[in-house]
Amino acid sequence: MNERASADYNGLTDEAFRQSVRGFIEAQYPQQLRYLQRRVRMSEIRPWWRTLYEKGWIAPNWPREFGGMGLDAGKMVIYLEELERYGVARAADQGITQVGPILMKYGTQAQKDAYLPGTLSGAIIWCQGYSEPNAGSDLANLQTAAVREDGHFVVNGQKIWTSFAHESTHIYLLVRTDREAKKQKGISFLLIDLKTPGITIRPIRNIAGHEEFCEVFFDNVRVPVDSLVGRLNEGWTIAKALLGFERLNIGSPRRPQYALRRLEMLARVKGLMNDAGFVDRFTTLKLDLEDLASLYSRYVEQVKRGEPLGHDVSSLKIWAMEAWQRLTDLLVETGAEDAVLEGAHDIAGVEIDFLGPFYYARPSTIYGGSSEVQRNIISKYVLELPS
Amino acid sequence: MASEHAQLLRESVDDFVARGTDIARVRALRRSPAEYDRAVWQRMAELGWVGIRVPEVYGGAGLSLADAAIIAEGVGRALMPEPFTAAAVLACDALARSHNEVLKQKLLPAFARGELMLALAWQERSGRLDTAQIDTTAVPFEGGYRLNGTKRYLCGAAGADVFVVAAKSDAGLVLACVDRSTQGVTVDLEPVADGRHFGTLRLEDAVAARERIAATGQSAGMALEAALDHASAIAGAELYGVMSRALEMSVEYMKTRVQFGRPIGSFQALQHRAVDLYLQQQLASAVLEDGLRELDDAPAPEARSAIASRIKARSSEAGLRIAREAIQIHGAIGFTDEYDAGLYLKRALVLAAWLGNAAQHRRRYAQLTFRSEAST
Repeated sequence: MNERASADYNGLTDEAFRQSVRGFIEAQYPQQLRYLQRRVRMSEIRPWWRTLYEKGWIAPNWPREFGGMGLDAGKMVIYLEELERYGVARAADQGITQVGPILMKYGTQAQKDAYLPGTLSGAIIWCQGYSEPNAGSDLANLQTAAVREDGHFVVNGQKIWTSFAHESTHIYLLVRTDREAKKQKGISFLLIDLKTPGITIRPIRNIAGHEEFCEVFFDNVRVPVDSLVGRLNEGWTIAKALLGFERLNIGSPRRPQYALRRLEMLARVKGLMNDAGFVDRFTTLKLDLEDLASLYSRYVEQVKRGEPLGHDVSSLKIWAMEAWQRLTDLLVETGAEDAVLEGAHDIAGVEIDFLGPFYYARPSTIYGGSSEVQRNIISKYVLELPS
Repeated sequence: MASEHAQLLRESVDDFVARGTDIARVRALRRSPAEYDRAVWQRMAELGWVGIRVPEVYGGAGLSLADAAIIAEGVGRALMPEPFTAAAVLACDALARSHNEVLKQKLLPAFARGELMLALAWQERSGRLDTAQIDTTAVPFEGGYRLNGTKRYLCGAAGADVFVVAAKSDAGLVLACVDRSTQGVTVDLEPVADGRHFGTLRLEDAVAARERIAATGQSAGMALEAALDHASAIAGAELYGVMSRALEMSVEYMKTRVQFGRPIGSFQALQHRAVDLYLQQQLASAVLEDGLRELDDAPAPEARSAIASRIKARSSEAGLRIAREAIQIHGAIGFTDEYDAGLYLKRALVLAAWLGNAAQHRRRYAQLTFRSEAST
């Protein structure tokens, strides 16, 4: 039953809360979707969304008055850790993680009423319209424009790498609304229903063979002026507000730890734990992850104390994603010929998919700010090197 | 979050690093047979640092490894030649964990006051971390033991007054305290990269009287192994001080050195290189913080060794890499004896090798963790 009205999660001890989350996940989460080595499709994950929604647990980060769990930062970390621990796939939850908090901070009452309930129930699924063909790492260079015209914005341009646009109902969009201003200053934040005339969505097949991201074309798309969130030309500030916590979440050691366990299992059945050369490389990677876990817990403690995350949290994303890739590289090397067979295979009694984890780790150093961009950030803001 | 006393200790260390020592002193002591400055050691004793691991009943501060790490970091940062980790952690912990109360009453208070120098003599072979392979013999006679054998790679041997010697008897391991002046004891000093020395201790029918036996059998082994793990972790903290200063120097240099009309720190190739070094330093810092907290909770021996190996592996790897790349970032000036970057590299070389380098500790970590995981 819905626990929203009564439960005070923050009043529980960490351990009691952890057990309660763990018990619920283990009882309810579909087995076949554990540790999926790709992004999950909305159609597959919808029953789980429903389960969480009915429990009142779909939005751990939202305040109670909006139907969330109202978790403090410490409990939030535990909640996410338990999802990761059990290998729960991350649904297209940007409505929950991004749009909701943005509307609560910058939205009008009418916008909150129009979007928040549907975002919570899954009736509205959001996709993120940020990147463009000429605005990837240089996001502020985006050119998709919105022009004010008799009570409407007219949007023209193209977005790309929009994850699951073809399974979404709405898009939140960064658009250029002032061509004269400095790059970051002329950007606004819009919410658009994907059924609006003039929008074309074209899925792009990735190297793993999955259709996860899309191109989205806007051809004279007319949307009402109340699609604007916050003030005109305030979009950059709004979009950047949530990046820190995202980098902490993405830097969790759980996904690479899963790859490590697969590798260890494979190494044992192949007798490689007696091979000194292999063991040194394996142990180096294992320690890379152990040390990542120490670094991660340091940032978690910082969040729990209520301190904001600084630019140095980029370290976590760089190390987590690059270590993950190194692990899947070694997994493929260890699999030898078997590693290039598509799909899962029985290796001496252990079912292993080599290419899945390998492909899955590939874009992690590109999305959410590439490793190179993260290094630029540390260089500029932490080491304070000149530009 | 740092506790209040840790914060005070850090301030006192920072102050000492800024005023109590400098690089000119470090340079002057290179290759000198004294190796370090007894007056500085005395000052460190007055500040309570020498006795930081000596239990309070023996006149020390009885503080944690996390506290000792704060001092070691300062020692590393300032490249002090005083053998803090070797004496105040390695030798001291071995003796403090031994069971001969009378002997401890006699030696530990004097050590904490800075009047008596201790050095641990356990290792015999290069590249070995295990204490099982000890060939030095301890043969009992009515008055005590006669010791025969050769101990190598001793840190802090130059000024040591008493050696805590690990030897094998028929009844197991013996930890014996042997005065430097004892008949049959010779100490040779071999210069190492950072201007200090590794000592070689030769024992030829050297007598350790019964009352000079600190521990025997299983408890001797346990004291020795705990001390080695603790010192490995604190050597990691010293390396952290070395790498932190080397990285600061490099980043400062990148901001000021102008080539092609711009500071070299504006070049992305160098920026990313510096960020990768910063990442290594951050990892070392996180492992130290986590690991020292766990060590101070007195885990079971296997877990303790695994944690110590994690710390020593990362800090050795990160310390060496940062110090090596500091030379590259500085260019030719970094390769001169006159510039300090080389001093940091040399200290990193010695600290990384002493008590086991990164590859050795990774190997040990693998042995410890794969065995225990397979059995659970």
